[in-house]
This record gives sequence, structure tokens and C-alpha cells, in this order.
Amino acid sequence: MSGKEVICVENLHKWFGMLHVLKGITFAVHEREVLVIIGRSGSGKSTLLRCINFLETPSSGKITISGDSVTCSPGRSIKREDVLKLRLSTGMVFQEFNLFPHMTVLENVIEALVTVKKYPKSKAIPIGEKYLNKVGLIEKRDIHPIRLSGGQKQRVAIARALAMEPKVMLFDEPTSALDPELIGEVLDVMKKLAFEGTTMAVVTHEMGFANDVADRIIYVDQGEIIEDGTPEQIFSNPRDERTRIFLEPIRSVQHV
Amino acid sequence: MAVEAMKPPPVATPDPNLSMGIQLMALERRERLVHGLKIALVWIVLILILGLFLLSLDFDPNYMFQHIQFVLAGAGLTIGISVVSILIAAVLALLGALGRLSTNSIAQGISGFYVSLIRGTPLLIQIFIIYLGLPQIGNQFRIHGYIGLANLFTLTAIQSGILALSINYGAYMTEIFRAGIQSISHGQREAAEAMGMTHGQTLRKVILPQAIRIIIPDIGNQFIAMQKDSSLVSFMGVWEITYRANRLARVDSKFMEMFLLAALMYWVLTIVSSWLESRLEKNLARAYER
Repeated sequence: MSGKEVICVENLHKWFGMLHVLKGITFAVHEREVLVIIGRSGSGKSTLLRCINFLETPSSGKITISGDSVTCSPGRSIKREDVLKLRLSTGMVFQEFNLFPHMTVLENVIEALVTVKKYPKSKAIPIGEKYLNKVGLIEKRDIHPIRLSGGQKQRVAIARALAMEPKVMLFDEPTSALDPELIGEVLDVMKKLAFEGTTMAVVTHEMGFANDVADRIIYVDQGEIIEDGTPEQIFSNPRDERTRIFLEPIRSVQHV
Repeated sequence: MAVEAMKPPPVATPDPNLSMGIQLMALERRERLVHGLKIALVWIVLILILGLFLLSLDFDPNYMFQHIQFVLAGAGLTIGISVVSILIAAVLALLGALGRLSTNSIAQGISGFYVSLIRGTPLLIQIFIIYLGLPQIGNQFRIHGYIGLANLFTLTAIQSGILALSINYGAYMTEIFRAGIQSISHGQREAAEAMGMTHGQTLRKVILPQAIRIIIPDIGNQFIAMQKDSSLVSFMGVWEITYRANRLARVDSKFMEMFLLAALMYWVLTIVSSWLESRLEKNLARAYER
């Protein structure tokens, strides 16, 4: 893969109690690359994504995002400002949107610009408007999230993450909480971002999206990466039997 | 009270279904109105029964009316003490809740100890300890020449009352604040922290504004309870509602008249505060209306 590494994950382990969820994961995401992570529920793919920005603290391993590294091992305490650096380089979109219900759409988008980046409002508002435009929701700027549809909420959440101008966008099953007829509008926004060269790591069950947009797909099973390749390799010629079994019903339904 | 089923008006409309909808709405509204009137009637009857019962004894309503002003003059103090105390209590409760939810063992220990100790002892005892007990410590300081410290431990009756009520209600409200903070979904915190907000920023900008809206009814409830518990400061001779009523009651042996008058005043106060609370609740709910 060309381009320099934006995310580099080395030998990542995660334990929940006695449950070994991630078993020595190593992978990288390069600049302008769209990496799609697929796998069954409970395979550890969401945990993997959440370890990248330390929403889950890795049990051990090393995370590097555009030059800033944090190394974890049992008993070693992690500096808060190191985690903060990683978080400022990443933008996260959640399955459940997690918009702030007490703020308007625009306030949601500019909140972190004002509190974290310390921008004055006069500087933050144009940035917020720019990204609301990008997701096509500028006309909703002054209403509260409760009045948006699920798809609109997720698009605002994407704008909110983009407004921080991160190096890489992390999507954690962004369409899994949506009604089927609303999935398209969110995927369209994500496709547009991918087309514009945004570096993205996407956990999803949308195999059509993976096939169309991904530069690379990794298949995670029981906390291990068992497949890593282009959509073509993964969908038409998976190396591992487990990937084949996982993809078989999806291929027959979605005709990818 | 007879509730007659309303006869449908014989109006010919082009859409028979539409007229049915209008008719149903009218019936529903009428039912609600009748229900409300019935409840009001029950209240009136109960008040009349109570009044007649009192008048049949040697109850002197004129004495009550003549001294309304004297007792009412204490309402300002009652309200003042309650308002100041609930504000201080809210600050203590917030700190207590943050301590209980903290990962820091010292903060957790302190707040757990505070809640346990204060909830486990009677308010009246706390008032006496602060008003009568603390000056003993103050005297020790005075003997050793620390006048400033000595004065700090010797509080006036009103100061003691406010301090006791604040500490006491702060302990109870710690649990309310803790529950409110915990009721905000974990995703809210994650979204804020993923964007680089610190714990403090997340708390101030995201968690508390939502938690406070949720606990406003509980805080209102505590405020109502506090207005009545503020009557305990009358033990220290603070001239609020209870003290004034008690004083007259004893002079003229008009116990029922004066204490009933005091009770009525507290009742009116709490009705006003719960009305204010529901207004505030509605205001804060505005962002959540579709």
C-alpha cells in the first residue's frame, strides 16, 4: 500500500476479565485509505476500533497515530495528554449517534471546537456550517437532535467528527441502528468522504459498501485478523475457510 | 353530579367519519373536565368537614385572622433560610456525587463517610451540635488566643440553621445527583471524550446539563421538604413561622388556631414552590420536544 501510515496498531491485546477479546492484532491504515473491518458480532471488531482512540484501554500493545504513540502493558499507567493527542487525531462516529440532546445541531458540531480547541465562536461557527453543508443538513442547524430522523442524526454526528479535522475517521457500525430506508443517505455521505480522500477505518455489516468503497478489508474472527486484502480477494477468493462461511449467505443475498 | 352522555349534534357533514372524530374529541374533553370538577368538589367537601369539625369545638377563627400578619412576618425568614440552604446543599451534593463516582479512593472515602454520617443522625441533633456544641470548641480556641478561629466556631442561630440544613440535605441530595449523573447514557461521555474533552469538560458541557434536567423534580421535592424542616430552627429562637406561631399559641393557649395557621402557611409555600418547579421543568424540557 502506498502512502504513509496514519494508524499503526502493533500486537494489540484486550482482556475483559478472563475473556481474551483481542489476541495480538497488528495492522496499519495508510493515508487516503479506506479500511473496512468485518466479522461476526462478538468477534472483537468494535473493541478493536475503540482501542484506537482509547475508549477502551488496550491491555497491551502499541497504538501510533500520525507519529504519536502510546504503549500499553499491564500495570503501566498511561499519560492523559498522550491519549488526548490520539483522540484529537481521530474522529469517531458511533452506532447510536450519541448526539448531545440539549444542544442544537450547530452547537453539537462546534462544541469541541470551542471547548477543546479553544476557538472563539466566530471562528468555530463557519467551520461547523461548512461541515453541515457537506452532509447536507445546513438547514437543520438551529433545531435539536430529537427532531431529526436517524439518518439525519448520524449525518450530524459525522459532521461533528469532521469539524475537528481529524487525521482519520473511525466509524463503529454507523448504520446498524438505522431503519433500512435511512441507511442509504448515511452511506452516501461516507462514500463522498472516501472519494474525497478521507482516511477511514469502518466497522460495518454493509458488505455492499465494503465491496464498493473499501481499499482494503480485514476480517476479524475470535480476536484475530484472519484475512487482510482487497475486496476482490476477500469476496471472490477468501483464503480462510471461516471467511468463506461468513460471507457465503451475504454473497447470495447481496449479489456482490 | 350527573354525567349525561352528550347527544351527537344532528349536523350533516360530507364526511361522516370526520364528524365522528370531532364527536369523540368533544366527549373526551367533557370527560376530563367532569373528572377534574369532581376532584375539586372532593377537596371542597373535605375542607368543609374539617372546618365544621373545628368550629364545633371551641375554635376561634377570629384569633387566627387577627394574627396572620404576625406569623406571616416570619415567612421571609423561612423562605430565605430554605433558599440559601438548598443552594449550598446542591453544591455539596454535586461534590459528594462526584466523590462517590470518582476513581480516587480518598474522594470516594470522604464522600461515602459524609453521606453515611449525616444521613445516619437526626437533623435536630445536627442543629444542636452546630449551634450549642461547636461554641465549646470555639471557647478552647478563645482561651488559647485564637480569636478568629473562636468566632468561626460560634455561629448565630440563623447561620447554624443554614449550615445544618445545607449539610443535611447535601447528604441526601448526593444520592440524587449521583443517580442523575449515572442515568446519562455512557455514549454521551464517550462521544465527548472521543473528541478530546477532558473529564471536567465532559461533565460541565455534556453530562450535568442533561442530568440536572432529570433531577429537577427530585430537587424540587427536597426543597419542599426543606421548607418544612426549616421549622426546626425555631428551637434556636429564630423568628420564623413556627417560632412566631408557637409564641402566640403559648401566650393565649390558642394552640389549634396558631399551629393550624402555621401549617396553612407552609402548605401555601409548598404549593407555590411546586408550581415554580413544574414551570422550570417545562422550560428545561423544551429542547426535547419534537
